[in-house]
Amino acid sequence: MAAIPRCLIYQGIPIWRHVRVIEWAAQLVSGVLVVALVGWFFANISNAIGEREIPSGFDFLSRAYQTPIGHHFLPYESSDSFLYAFVVAATNTLTVAIAGIILATALGALVGVARMSSNWLVSKAALAYVEFFRNVPLLVQLFFWFYLILSLPPVEDGYVIAQQVYVNNAGLSLPWPTANGFDAAVTWLGLAMVAVIAGVAVYVGLGRRETSTGKATHAVVMGGSTAIVIAAASWLIIAAVVGEAPFAISQPAPQGTFGRISGGFTLPGGLIVLLIGLVVYTSSFIAEIVRAGIQSVNRGQPEAARALGLSPMKALRHVTFPQAMRVIVPPLISQHLNLTKNSSLAGAIGYSDLTNVAKTMTQTAPAVSIFLLIMVAYLAMSLTFSLIGNLYNRQLRLKGS
Amino acid sequence: MAMNLNTAPASELPPRSTRGMAGWMHANLFSSRFNSILTVAFGVALAAALWFGLRWIFLAADWTLISTLGGRFIIGQYNAESACPGSNCFWRPQAVLLLFTVLMGMAWGITGRGVVKQVAIATAAAAAAFTFLPYSLDRMGLDVRLLLVANLPALAVGWGLARYTPLGTARRTAILGGSAFLLALVLLRGLPGVPGLQPVSVIYWGGLMLNLLLAVSGIMFSLPIGIALALGRRGQLPVVKLLCVAFIEIFRGVPLITLLFMSQVLVPLAFPENFPQDSLFRAAVVITLFSAAYMAENIRGGLQALHPGQVEAARALGLPSWQTTLLISLPQAIRNVIPAIVGQFISLFKDTSLVYIIGMLDLVAIGRSFIQGNTEFLDNALELFVFLALVFWVFTCSMSYVSRGIERNLGVGER
Repeated sequence: MAAIPRCLIYQGIPIWRHVRVIEWAAQLVSGVLVVALVGWFFANISNAIGEREIPSGFDFLSRAYQTPIGHHFLPYESSDSFLYAFVVAATNTLTVAIAGIILATALGALVGVARMSSNWLVSKAALAYVEFFRNVPLLVQLFFWFYLILSLPPVEDGYVIAQQVYVNNAGLSLPWPTANGFDAAVTWLGLAMVAVIAGVAVYVGLGRRETSTGKATHAVVMGGSTAIVIAAASWLIIAAVVGEAPFAISQPAPQGTFGRISGGFTLPGGLIVLLIGLVVYTSSFIAEIVRAGIQSVNRGQPEAARALGLSPMKALRHVTFPQAMRVIVPPLISQHLNLTKNSSLAGAIGYSDLTNVAKTMTQTAPAVSIFLLIMVAYLAMSLTFSLIGNLYNRQLRLKGS
Repeated sequence: MAMNLNTAPASELPPRSTRGMAGWMHANLFSSRFNSILTVAFGVALAAALWFGLRWIFLAADWTLISTLGGRFIIGQYNAESACPGSNCFWRPQAVLLLFTVLMGMAWGITGRGVVKQVAIATAAAAAAFTFLPYSLDRMGLDVRLLLVANLPALAVGWGLARYTPLGTARRTAILGGSAFLLALVLLRGLPGVPGLQPVSVIYWGGLMLNLLLAVSGIMFSLPIGIALALGRRGQLPVVKLLCVAFIEIFRGVPLITLLFMSQVLVPLAFPENFPQDSLFRAAVVITLFSAAYMAENIRGGLQALHPGQVEAARALGLPSWQTTLLISLPQAIRNVIPAIVGQFISLFKDTSLVYIIGMLDLVAIGRSFIQGNTEFLDNALELFVFLALVFWVFTCSMSYVSRGIERNLGVGER
């Protein structure tokens, strides 16, 4: 045996054949390579910034943005700063995402249950819905809804439902409550929240009693009426003390010949298109997830529930669904995240979401910094949503598993 | 007691038949009062939708937009005078299509039957059928039509190659497929100085051709990268694991459209100024990496579902760890998650429509830019997007059809 210097032997094995050594060497090399590559990229970027006088840094954030934002849920003026404009755009995305998640989950669950229906017509209609909307790119669907809304009549000849709801190619205008006075409105909103919490508490308590005693307690009716009574009583008291109701209904009304509608609450066409597109597209995925979840429940479970005398709806709600939820929730979370990310297609149909506004910002502000901001914003949203979902998922898990 | 014995038992009707037209309808449509109401409500709604839908398709809709755009849906601006001055470049996409048909024929020759045969025949037939479609391109002569018809013999040539020459093994066909892809890129890009192959800038690539190119390159590379990432994430090496997790989570956490946009604005800065740059190449890389991050998670799911006994048995038989991974874990893991992998391929194909953000005129963007440029067609936008939806739907549905066929052949869920 050829003599190997002792310094090249580790644990009695030549180091170039020692698994641990090879593994660590490989890791070291790959780590150094990646760090070097990233470092090279950053060096190039900072070089380019220096040589080509590309603006950088985050000083621009306090400068005025000077550009209008098409639609905003938060109040916004062109003189507001970049940072605030960014927050406004992020709020738009967040609002669309939350509304879309709620609607898509509800619609998806409905379609998923319809897909499992014993009724041939209903299950085939649900199948056609899923197979069509799942297999067509969201962008094509968004454009379809966009031009469908665009083909509605303009504001002057738009549809008016009962003198209250205006439907036209600019959007949908609804009557909407507006606060009469700030203090009264906030007080009532706080009390209404208390009412909802009290209602939920009553519902949960009665539900527990129903489970333990087996006597009907009408938890939904009792909880709901508790909340309504408290809210209505506080409304009346505030109205009596202040002299006017905390909220009044503002009705939309067309303004002159300029094709504008004032008052009420107007959902702009772009937002409607985006919501319809996202909800329909995502719900077709959620429907399949719900179906797979329901199918994963042992057949004996709903059969036993039916044998015990539960109605089909009750068997679905109390026996099948809670068990299916364990299978449904993890992929459901990832669909919710997909919806949030897909909302970035808003730019294609002219709605001002985070990506669209950021894209416009890159014309007057350093692109590098803006991209860092967008990535942080989307990663934060994704992580928050998946954290909430995972916490919920942990609650669903079987004890001891 | 005796009286009881004498009375006939209360007569009960036999259970309703579930066979025959009436029986089937009772069992599937009118089994309960609620079901009957549902059936009637859905029936009325569906009939109304069908009535208005068909009326719109056949009476109200004006499909001239589709034939006006014609061949531009397929190759985009590739044949425009500015893209290919002074000569006819149309034969180059056609030759790529022929290459693809030969490969499909080879795949058919190797597998023999099943979905591959159906897809191969359908591809060649569809390609040949383009001969008779309105093209409305600048220079669509007889030669182009002949090249399209040649797809049928090309299929036969591929089949013959696979059956009667030593090329007919899966591995050799895969190598051939890889080189055919490179050849296709060279054909489309052109070679400076070669007569007939004058370079065509990628900004003129477009239409369905662009979607398919991006999808094929994405599918070819995202699977191996995804496998590597999944193995890295499941492995024992902390540094590699950290890098893989960071890569996967960053690419999964940010919308593709943001990444694509970044690839056009930020990535050029990350390379030296004189570095050769190609916007389409960057977009293809971003789409591939994005898809690979999702693919890694799918394959990780498959690896996790694998029974640990498989790996233990392989190690007990003395297989080194890389053989255990390549021959035991991965094949089973991938087989378990075929639907998820094909689902990822489908969404990759759908995502290729997002290249509009970097100004490429893919199938969707070409139609949209045409509408925006020719306002007399603005009223036909719905027809355009219904047509585009149908085109995408045909592709994605045949992909999931093939996936079901592969699953059946591999006996997923039967072992």
